[in-house]
Amino acid sequence: MNPAVEIQKPSLLKFWGSRVISAIAAIAFCAGIQSLGGPLADNEFLYRIIVLSGLYVTLAVSLNLINGITGQFSIGHAAFYQVGAYTAGYLTVRMFSTQQIGEVPWLILMCLVGAAAAAITGLIVGLPSLRLKGDYLAIVTLGFGEIIRIIAINIDEVGGAYGLSIVPKIQSPWLIWALAILCIAVCRNLLKTAHGLPFLAVREDEVASSAMGVSTTKIKVTAFVIGSSFAGAAGALLAHYEAFITPDMFKMEVSFIVLTMVVIGGTGSITGSTVAALALFLLPEWLRGLKEANGDALVVSAPQLLGATLAIIAYIALARRVRDHYHGKPIQKAGFQFGVAAASLVLFFLFKAVFAQIGGLAGHEGWEINSLRMAIFAAVLIVIMLLRPQGVFGHHEFSWAWLKSLFVKKKQEAS
Amino acid sequence: MIDLVTSGALAGLSLDPSTLPQQLVNGLLIGAIYALIALGYTMVYGVLRLINFAHGEVFMLGAYAALFVSYGFGYTADAGDIAGGTWTLLAIMLLVSMISCAIVGAVIEFFAYRPMRNQTRIAALITAIGVSLLIQYGGQLFLPAQPPPSISEKVLPADIRGSYDFNLISPDPQLESDLAAAKTAADAADSELEKMLTDTGQREFDLEPEHPLRAAKFETIGEVRSLSAEIENSSVSVTVPRGQAVMFGTVVLLMTLLWWLVMHTRTGRAMRAASHDFDSASLMGINVNRVVTITFIIGSALAGAGAMMNATFLRTPLTPFFGFMPGVKAFVAAVLGGIGNIPGAVLGGFVMGLAETLVVWAGYGQYKDAVAFVILIVILLFRPGGLLGSSKVEKV
Amino acid sequence: MLQVNGLNVFYGAIQALNDVTLEVQEGEVVSIIGSNGAGKSTLLRSISGLNRPRTGEIKFLDETIVGVSADKIVDKGISQSPEGRRIFTNMTVRENLQLGAFSRKDNEIESDLEKVMDRFPRVRERLKQSAGTLSGGEQQMLAICRALMSNPKLLLLDEPSMGLAPNLVTEIFSIIKELNDEGTTILLVEQNAHRALEVAHRAYVLETGKVVLSGDGSDLLEDDRVKEYYLGG
Repeated sequence: MNPAVEIQKPSLLKFWGSRVISAIAAIAFCAGIQSLGGPLADNEFLYRIIVLSGLYVTLAVSLNLINGITGQFSIGHAAFYQVGAYTAGYLTVRMFSTQQIGEVPWLILMCLVGAAAAAITGLIVGLPSLRLKGDYLAIVTLGFGEIIRIIAINIDEVGGAYGLSIVPKIQSPWLIWALAILCIAVCRNLLKTAHGLPFLAVREDEVASSAMGVSTTKIKVTAFVIGSSFAGAAGALLAHYEAFITPDMFKMEVSFIVLTMVVIGGTGSITGSTVAALALFLLPEWLRGLKEANGDALVVSAPQLLGATLAIIAYIALARRVRDHYHGKPIQKAGFQFGVAAASLVLFFLFKAVFAQIGGLAGHEGWEINSLRMAIFAAVLIVIMLLRPQGVFGHHEFSWAWLKSLFVKKKQEAS
Repeated sequence: MIDLVTSGALAGLSLDPSTLPQQLVNGLLIGAIYALIALGYTMVYGVLRLINFAHGEVFMLGAYAALFVSYGFGYTADAGDIAGGTWTLLAIMLLVSMISCAIVGAVIEFFAYRPMRNQTRIAALITAIGVSLLIQYGGQLFLPAQPPPSISEKVLPADIRGSYDFNLISPDPQLESDLAAAKTAADAADSELEKMLTDTGQREFDLEPEHPLRAAKFETIGEVRSLSAEIENSSVSVTVPRGQAVMFGTVVLLMTLLWWLVMHTRTGRAMRAASHDFDSASLMGINVNRVVTITFIIGSALAGAGAMMNATFLRTPLTPFFGFMPGVKAFVAAVLGGIGNIPGAVLGGFVMGLAETLVVWAGYGQYKDAVAFVILIVILLFRPGGLLGSSKVEKV
Repeated sequence: MLQVNGLNVFYGAIQALNDVTLEVQEGEVVSIIGSNGAGKSTLLRSISGLNRPRTGEIKFLDETIVGVSADKIVDKGISQSPEGRRIFTNMTVRENLQLGAFSRKDNEIESDLEKVMDRFPRVRERLKQSAGTLSGGEQQMLAICRALMSNPKLLLLDEPSMGLAPNLVTEIFSIIKELNDEGTTILLVEQNAHRALEVAHRAYVLETGKVVLSGDGSDLLEDDRVKEYYLGG
């Protein structure tokens, strides 16, 4: 069935075993991130994106709690991010210099402040929205996001449209990732323990859940509040890392990017959100850094773009046909899918060559890969919805048990 | 902090009754455009239960289509001295916008929405968001936007230029004659000063501020200014540019045509049947896919008409992203009137337009976009069925 | 007239109809009875083209109609009054009837409207009313009228007596008999087994997607198993 729903009644060793391993891994990871700062001193860009990707992991997993796990549909997540950032940033500007706490403890405090501010906002958004169904709820959350952004633009006290400079700059890579790991852990535990079952039940069937006495209201609001708190804490960290925030940094674009991460990873899969957040944040940054042989930024030519578009359309049509109409053995189906992918690749080169013959297209200067970024995002979102709406990871989750089973299987087969 | 917010918030409030009628008229004019776009949202939602996020982008493309037609006829930004447009040109722009939007709408439905028919509503909504983003950011790669172009005003035929002026409350004749006198005095003072400067070879800013001639000039100018302001504040007039009046008339015409189509033709019945439920409609022999396509075509064509008129008569600057806010506002309008309800969309459109201009009138122009979201939230919380009632009641 | 052979219909992974075979001759009334969830509605939906069977054959007038879209099946002469009546509550009674004739392109629609209303005077009274304001019985009659408007060769009725008071049930079934006497072939799906078997020439019993019994209507009325399970002992 659904692996995420298994309740473990294990022995004491199993119970603590995986938790201790996770804790050790987490601490090691954070320490590792922090220490990367040394060796990567000259590649500040790389270090920065490694650190910042942690923020997106937090955002994606926290949004997943609201969207995927309780089945609500919020697309204004940037609002909570923004509230946390501005609240924490403003307080630091006003109050840091007047007190004695060190930088990092202060930052942790600001995380809590940001989380609290965002939680309150989450409460305000969540409570009235409960009556609303899917698509309406989506628009309302988007609306709240925009309202908050427009308000921020118009409050001169926090810099208005020009932004807010935060002094001092407090950069703490390990804390950013510690937050991400904490977020993952909290959401994971919410699911796997008895606390978590109601969340999933609400997603699967709201009517049935409420009939069984699960307070859907309480669950949904709790999801909103927890999800928004994490986003707020992430916002606080962002504000202090960059030391400068503007309303523009929290445009609807950000909400959509986080939503895309959740959707592609698989609404309901924490692993999926994490992997997708990393992939969708790091890949574009890496692409941005790609250069042609002559040192210019990588350029996609018109024939390449058009060829790719047509090849992708062909791929989608073929893959859907295989998916919906082939009822044979799974291994054969996978084979067909692979064949379809290969055929599409061939088509790409074919189309590209054909388009390259057209003078007007061949002579076109093309586009830098970076300017294609958002369009590619949007295209990926559409493709995933058409081919695999449950996302890459669907409902599956990573677990230490699963990892172990990879090695144990061989032994069992042998006997 | 609270103090700062409220004192800052209310500081901008200024209610000037004399400009109210003009703003109301403006509201109706922009509301007409919102109504056209809202019709597209409401019809698609009625049939598919889907919020067509990409509708605003269809609107945007329609505006660009009109722009390119005008370029094709020579009305580019650097056209120089070109003769005014003709009614034929306007008709062509309108038709091209409507047809291209209809095509885009049908294509989007076929490739992006139809495959999602058996999926959850959320999945379809996410797809719609994806399409919206793709058109915006894809458009950024292909469409001119730096600086944002707008349709040349020369496109308007000579007899459309100018405006209808209505004086609701005429200014006090005494004030007007006082103003005339003051202007004369100001001119006199100014020429006297100029004469003196020419005679003595000095420049104006060499003189001391208290110099009698200079003081006289500023005093008379001040008098002119305060009298003008007084006249403006005491009189009420409404100016409607002729083009916008034509626009309004066209919108009303299109809405009437739509109403006739939906209520009195076989196709309209099929559309209404399909919006009730697909299976029953199929059992009547209705090809539901065709009905959906027709719905998209009509809705998109209306958006295209709105786009062409917006770009031509209101001369909005175009960017690939400029369709987003009108799209949101029109969506709110559709919800306001009752999603799925055609007269509701029209009513909602006008209410949105009025709300927007009233906010500007009250001195809070910078919040005019936020108004849409506030209205949306209020409506969804207190009357989700909309003012005129939704065609589909959301029951559990 | 209608032949169904080895029909297998799935909803996802769940099998709703299992190797169903039946036939309807011209001029007959054929009833299909069975308990809830037996697959009766699925059967009618498949014939009307709303569900696509995974395997199996459906032939109407010697023409295969499996895979033909629902709207085209109406053109071929099969019309259904669906389960739950499903009339268009957002439109008037008249418009509902006009929709019934949607697939027709001839000029006789108005006169047929008159004829249909002669048979059902109550419908005529309510012509301009919104269909949603009609009572349950009136809605059922409207649904049948609407299905008749397309001049069908085969009329499918899905649970016409559902939720109706006993006197209305009697009326509905006498109308069914009348229609058949005048020449309309009818395939009827019903939970009210007694009535359904009374009015039928032949009948089939459907249980968990399979045809378990078939025969003449009068024979099945006397059958012990049928009596025990469906006729209340």
